Amino acid sequence: MFGENPMCDHCMKHGSAGKWYLNAAGYSEEVARRHNLREFLLEQYKNFEQISVRKVAGFSPAGMDRVFRMPIIGRLVKRSAEKLLHSTRPPSDPFRPEGHIGQVVPLEDGVAILQHCAAEPIIEKNCMCRYMTRGIKESCCINFGVMSEIIDKLPRFIPEKDKYLLSREEAVRRFTEHNRKGYIGTIWYGPYPYINNLCSCALPECAGIRPRVDFGIKSIHKAEYVIRLEEERCRGCRACASRCPFKAISVEPETSLARVDATACYGCGVCRHACDTDALVLEPRKASARDPVHAHA
Amino acid sequence: MRTPRIAVDYSRCGDGRGVDPRVCCRCLQACSPAVFLLHQSFGAAEPDPLDPQAWRVTVMWPTLCTRCMKCVQACPEHAVTVG
Repeated sequence: MFGENPMCDHCMKHGSAGKWYLNAAGYSEEVARRHNLREFLLEQYKNFEQISVRKVAGFSPAGMDRVFRMPIIGRLVKRSAEKLLHSTRPPSDPFRPEGHIGQVVPLEDGVAILQHCAAEPIIEKNCMCRYMTRGIKESCCINFGVMSEIIDKLPRFIPEKDKYLLSREEAVRRFTEHNRKGYIGTIWYGPYPYINNLCSCALPECAGIRPRVDFGIKSIHKAEYVIRLEEERCRGCRACASRCPFKAISVEPETSLARVDATACYGCGVCRHACDTDALVLEPRKASARDPVHAHA
Repeated sequence: MRTPRIAVDYSRCGDGRGVDPRVCCRCLQACSPAVFLLHQSFGAAEPDPLDPQAWRVTVMWPTLCTRCMKCVQACPEHAVTVG
């Protein structure tokens, strides 16, 4: 047991109790400048949509899901993908998703990020995942600081109808609207150690969540929370079960009550918006059921 | 079940030559598991690198394909095949 998860650099600096995203230092200009991220992010976002199809070590990631499903090789390939995503080395190659790791956040934590941590300017851009998978432009991706400056140069990300430059209050309002619609709040390093993206995601479109949901690659951490059902309040209406993006809620045929599968629950909390009787409560995830906040490779 | 072989004919769609997949997007929207990915073509000469104009659709996750054939039916250029 001991020695399996030695403290990594990140945990030494910020503590391992979770909620790395509530440390304002990760959003700071100082971090962006130290890693020369103005240049790095412009290079990365010019052809951002190409990153997931660029060859890695001579292999094209397109169709790599066949390999993921192979028994032994699949595990090795998935682990090396995780290593890249969880990298804490200084960002070096804008054409690889190095250090691009995130975590699911419920509405409350997303709002706290916007109120207390996010660096200005705050913008809302078109979601690149929905664009890549559906060709649609939906503005629901909130960016901060240097990331906002970069997006300003790239016309395809700038919403035509919706407001682009947001005040903190407007950003809170937009994030809340998306969350109530059933979109999953997620916060991202892009790249580590700079935090610059608060997304409102949908499945199967989200390039960050789907590798985990579909193939078991830890491309995102579950939230620090999990849903608990207060049975006496549940009326068995099933609204939460159809709202849960992770299929973690079912309805027991005998009791007609909802049942939450805590291991399948990502703690996004969007099911709560579907419940008229406040029967779903978000509570801290037990340490044993938590993801390590960081890859302790 | 064997993984379907899905192919896109780039002489009919994308790469700045055929139909612009950003304008059409019908295969992207027809596919319920979102198997396809829209991205900038590699190696295209772009007059403005900040606003690339040559795009193509790549089959990203073939194992998630359910062979529903909606993409084949949706494609006005008959550029998508599933075998």
